[in-house]
Amino acid sequence: MNCDIVPIIPLGIVGLGAVILMMLAAFEKIHLEVAAVFSMCVFALAFVMQLLPTGPSDMAPYSELFRGMLVTNGFTKVAALIILACGFFTAMSSTSYFRQNSFCTLEFYCLLIFSVWGMLLLTMARELITVFISLEIFSLCIYVLVGYNRRSATSAEAVLKYLMLGAFAGSFFTMGTALVYGAVRSTGFAAIATFIAENGFLETPALVGGVFFILFAFLFKIAAFPFHAWVIDVYDGASVPVTGFMATALKTAIFAVLVNFLSLDAGLKGAWLDILFYITVFTLFAGNLIAIGQSNLKRMLAASGIVHTGYLLIAVIAVGDNALSGNIILFYLAAYAASTLGIFASLSYLGGQDEKRCSFDDFKGLAKVRPYSAAAITVFLLSMAGIPPTAGFMGKFYIITTAFQSGQALLAVLGIVSSILSMWYYLRLIIAMYFHEANEPFEIEASPFAPICTLILAACVFAIGLYPMVI
Amino acid sequence: MIAQWLFFGFATLAVLGALGLVLFRHPMNGAMCFIVTLISLAGLYALLSASLLFALQLIVYAGAIMSLILFIIMFLNIQITDLPEEKGRWTFFFGGIVLIAPIGLFLLKIVKTLPESSTTIIGDNFGGVKKVGMVLFRDWLLPFEIVSILLLVALVGAVVLAGKKEMAS
Repeated sequence: MNCDIVPIIPLGIVGLGAVILMMLAAFEKIHLEVAAVFSMCVFALAFVMQLLPTGPSDMAPYSELFRGMLVTNGFTKVAALIILACGFFTAMSSTSYFRQNSFCTLEFYCLLIFSVWGMLLLTMARELITVFISLEIFSLCIYVLVGYNRRSATSAEAVLKYLMLGAFAGSFFTMGTALVYGAVRSTGFAAIATFIAENGFLETPALVGGVFFILFAFLFKIAAFPFHAWVIDVYDGASVPVTGFMATALKTAIFAVLVNFLSLDAGLKGAWLDILFYITVFTLFAGNLIAIGQSNLKRMLAASGIVHTGYLLIAVIAVGDNALSGNIILFYLAAYAASTLGIFASLSYLGGQDEKRCSFDDFKGLAKVRPYSAAAITVFLLSMAGIPPTAGFMGKFYIITTAFQSGQALLAVLGIVSSILSMWYYLRLIIAMYFHEANEPFEIEASPFAPICTLILAACVFAIGLYPMVI
Repeated sequence: MIAQWLFFGFATLAVLGALGLVLFRHPMNGAMCFIVTLISLAGLYALLSASLLFALQLIVYAGAIMSLILFIIMFLNIQITDLPEEKGRWTFFFGGIVLIAPIGLFLLKIVKTLPESSTTIIGDNFGGVKKVGMVLFRDWLLPFEIVSILLLVALVGAVVLAGKKEMAS
């Protein structure tokens, strides 16, 4: 017997934690770091609860009440674990960041928890309106988090751009949902799958159009090729921990729902394969070209995020409909999340006041002054570049071998080429850190959180790499 | 037949209002045009026998929200000299049309394939408070409930972005 409440306990914990923190924010006496520790506890508790066994197969909690709009299985479970871990480490590195930057209030952590709540819901949602609402929940949180530093002009610019373009993507999603409803007379994933199985996908133009607009919105959110332009400015304008959070948790949530949606029916995915192929190729190379031209670290990482989206899209295209396919995507997401969060944690620690160290040149000679920090950053960069024995290598290895096996040899080769290209900008930082003399003493206000966070994540990078496919 | 003509009338008005919203320079004129759009949408809902939605559209959107927006614009007391100069707006406008046109044609094609349906009044209290409530709380309970979180988040976000308080750690 499966207990209905078990899969949604983490959702309950995170939601309750967010509401409690929102109320606590009214009190002057609550310290910022108390709030950070509180949110870390919320995420940790939800993480442990998420580990409770629920069985690997599809299960719809309270299907009478929720009409099957929520479905959990092994895939959503691991995606939720990654998202919760991202929330945990973001809260951890924010504490160090806000020792040196003073624009934080308690609502920062509250919004962080709310956005994780929205993402958890998104991974489970099997109904387009629920997907839309949970998408908007975390998008709204992230808009505010991006614009949190109201004294900074780049931050204001970032939030304005993101809000406007996000609103466009949201409206396209609603239009797509309306068209799908017009064709299928339902917005549930199960009903759409049955409809396609009975009538075929390409025979119903309204359905094709609807899916087109829905994919448009998803591709915008993951910053795939034609919609990648916003990502650089927005990541640059956001504060470092928020950028790390956006790059990892948000991407995990959207990829989870994208995979759920595309795996509804083989016909649905088959119709888009050609388009997705070109989008993937352009995403890989546009991201690389932009990243090579950057001198600012955050902008470089934003552009490299586009490249990683490209790899994940290869996995989405190449893998079949079996359970293994989701695992490869999740494995890559976990590996990518560990290294990206790690590098953003180090940046929030080393960035200094008002993020004064932000370009490649600012990190010259870091290894001479702070050898451990430099070593940790090197580990994360090597993992992102895909050098063995790190997790990033295993992730890329799985994706490229699957691409070969499923006959997408061209994509696999292009993936390898882009991986080699990406060495350029990852190694550039390593060279700057190790082969130059230090110009400055890298004085930093000591704070234990970010270094611990970096240490755990560096261990994770190796652990995920050494114990592959445990998921 | 009359319903058909009413539909075309309302639809044209809605599109014209939306165009005015985008094209008028002064925000006040834009807001007024938006009211036209909202009211014609209410008319479209009425044609679909959605009586509750019709009333809500008029009271909440055209009434409450738009009067709030109008108040804000009046508070700001925007003069024509305060408005930013928009260089090359027509270039952007026509460029936008060129970009959007394929999507519009695509949509037209899709709409043409939709099955014909008539706009006649459906009896049986369709679209009334009771029917909508039943649907909302039985079939759509989950989306209805999570909207509350969405509103909560919007509230917290508005307080954060508009508030003055800055706390030292």
